[in-house]
Amino acid sequence: MAVGIDLGKPTSQHLLEVRDLTTRFYTEDGVVHAVNGISYTLDEGETLGVVGESGCGKSVHALSMMRLIPIPPGKIEKGEVIFKGRDLLKLSEEEMRHIRGAEIAMIFQDPMTSLNPVLTIGFQITESLQLHQGMDKAQSRERALELLDMVGIPEAALRLDDYPHQFSGGMRQRAMIAMGLSCNPSILIADEPTTALDVTIQAQIVDLVKRLQDKLGMTVIWITHDLGVVAGMADRVNVMYAGSIIETGPVKYIYGDPHHPYTLGLLGSLPNPEGSMGVRLYSIPGEPPDLVGMPKGCPFAPRCTFKVERCLHEMPMLEEIEPGHLAACWEKDRVRRV
Amino acid sequence: MVNYIIRRLLMVPLLLFGVTVLIFLMLQVLSPVERSALYVRDIPRNERVLEGIIKRYGLDQPVHIQYWKWLMGTIDPQTGDRQGGILRGEFGYSRTASQPVAEMLARRFPASLELALLAVIPVIAGGILLGVVGAVNHNKPLDQFVRIFGIVGWSFPDFVFGLLLLMLFYANLGWFPPGRISDWANQIVQSPEFHNYTQLITIDSLLNLRFDIFWDALRHLIMPVITLAYLWWALTLRVTRSSMLETLRQDYITTARAKGLSERTVIRRHALPNGLMPVITLGGNTVVGLLSGVVIVETVYNYPGIGSAAADAAVNLDVITVLAFVLLNGFILVMANLIVDILYAYIDPRVRLD
Repeated sequence: MAVGIDLGKPTSQHLLEVRDLTTRFYTEDGVVHAVNGISYTLDEGETLGVVGESGCGKSVHALSMMRLIPIPPGKIEKGEVIFKGRDLLKLSEEEMRHIRGAEIAMIFQDPMTSLNPVLTIGFQITESLQLHQGMDKAQSRERALELLDMVGIPEAALRLDDYPHQFSGGMRQRAMIAMGLSCNPSILIADEPTTALDVTIQAQIVDLVKRLQDKLGMTVIWITHDLGVVAGMADRVNVMYAGSIIETGPVKYIYGDPHHPYTLGLLGSLPNPEGSMGVRLYSIPGEPPDLVGMPKGCPFAPRCTFKVERCLHEMPMLEEIEPGHLAACWEKDRVRRV
Repeated sequence: MVNYIIRRLLMVPLLLFGVTVLIFLMLQVLSPVERSALYVRDIPRNERVLEGIIKRYGLDQPVHIQYWKWLMGTIDPQTGDRQGGILRGEFGYSRTASQPVAEMLARRFPASLELALLAVIPVIAGGILLGVVGAVNHNKPLDQFVRIFGIVGWSFPDFVFGLLLLMLFYANLGWFPPGRISDWANQIVQSPEFHNYTQLITIDSLLNLRFDIFWDALRHLIMPVITLAYLWWALTLRVTRSSMLETLRQDYITTARAKGLSERTVIRRHALPNGLMPVITLGGNTVVGLLSGVVIVETVYNYPGIGSAAADAAVNLDVITVLAFVLLNGFILVMANLIVDILYAYIDPRVRLD
């Protein structure tokens, strides 16, 4: 499995290659620098975890790739999103519609609000099938039934004509996943799909996606703030902070040998079941920066315990620590997991 | 759905009972002498005759008996005929119209209905369409135009707006006359060769293939319809716009777009049914607004409908006629709300499946 960032290639052999993606929102309060030039690649069958606090740009980056951010106020300033050799940002709206749902599908955070309350579950699944696969009503219904069955909804045939409010939260997320998978997409982007669910249901949904990924061989981008989930399922992790990727690498490096103080802080704030009782959980001091007035140097500097003079003036770039593992920190060699 | 409609229909008699009780109580505020207009044409001046009438129609009896008689009528002990009774369609005698209230309503109601029906078209079509257009083109010039149109309409009192139109298009330009129909056309409409299928002149004239009369009726209707509609048109537009803006921000709209649906389909199939719910709720209010609007608009344009009759009656303290108008309004309102509730359930499964 190829990992790492090699931006030198003129044509991409990767399934997906994001280059210098930059998204801003022009609001009344000023320009929000939501995504600031992120680049990465993704290969077939791979699972990428995108991790970061709320508002770090992880969802906006996904919506930008799908070209689903509201324009205005949003604007994709520059960058390329090369999917199967085509730059998605250069496609016409019509061409892009054939990518959405058919090639790249997306499931969202809150299954309570991301299903249309006035349409039946069945309709919302068959809709994509009729659109992208040219199925007729009967065929798409049959396929929807299979899908609901596959995501583990009991008595799927009876539930097809139910409305979202008749489903529980976990079932709705299963239905969302069924919708996402309906057209056999190459990439499934899961935008915090477990955040709004109970812990027990979270585990079920994670297992379900893992199982389906093994079965269908698709590529998954799993966006979350939950490092625990990512550890269990991702091959590679992008850690995002203030709209930039500040550390990226195979999951074992990120967890075992983090080289960015922010990653270190995130890992430190995970509860450890084997840890000694009575020890306070670590929390990163301070708040994430306001994305309107970004500091000049490293955005994490104000909260960083490793910071030096240079961090306040110069923004560090991603640099390689070992093959495939990069971190953007001037003091990355000092950062070690204790 | 069927269960829901049945349950909702069962509410109707209850509501109507409430309406009649309220209006009956208002009637009770009047003295028995004034209430005798429910049964007799002229209120006699002679004390003894008056006493006799009050006795004969039981106007001095306990309230619940009077309520029953008011609903069902009372039997005249001398002739044995049943007289009065609103359920029998007898609302008493209208002093201002110099005829029984029921006859007056029957004669004038089609004119008001025609006015209100024509006003509903711009309210629904224009209001909803412009509201959606404004929301979809949020903050673009088209949206700004829609917003200004809405604010002006919502803040312009209809009697001022009506008088301005009258001044401009009748007094100055002479394009659109007041009234309901020109004299020459009226003669034809009243003549036996002209078939009055619906009593609505615009429709009847088309059915009789008299396009000159259709045009004449339309010329008379344009100004009152615009005046009557503008306020509700503007309000519907504003509610549709803000509700659609709200709906377009919902997560399920992003889901729909992420499926690859065209923007048209997203709006029509996913946004509209949700965005229109507040507009349907407003529909009930619109009916009320149009009913009270006709009083002003018909007065301004000297249009012979129930609204101007109610205004005449109110000015002359003809309470019997006014209360009949209120009763009619109450009935229409109950029916309008019934339709609104059923529409609501039709669109929103959460209502119908509760």
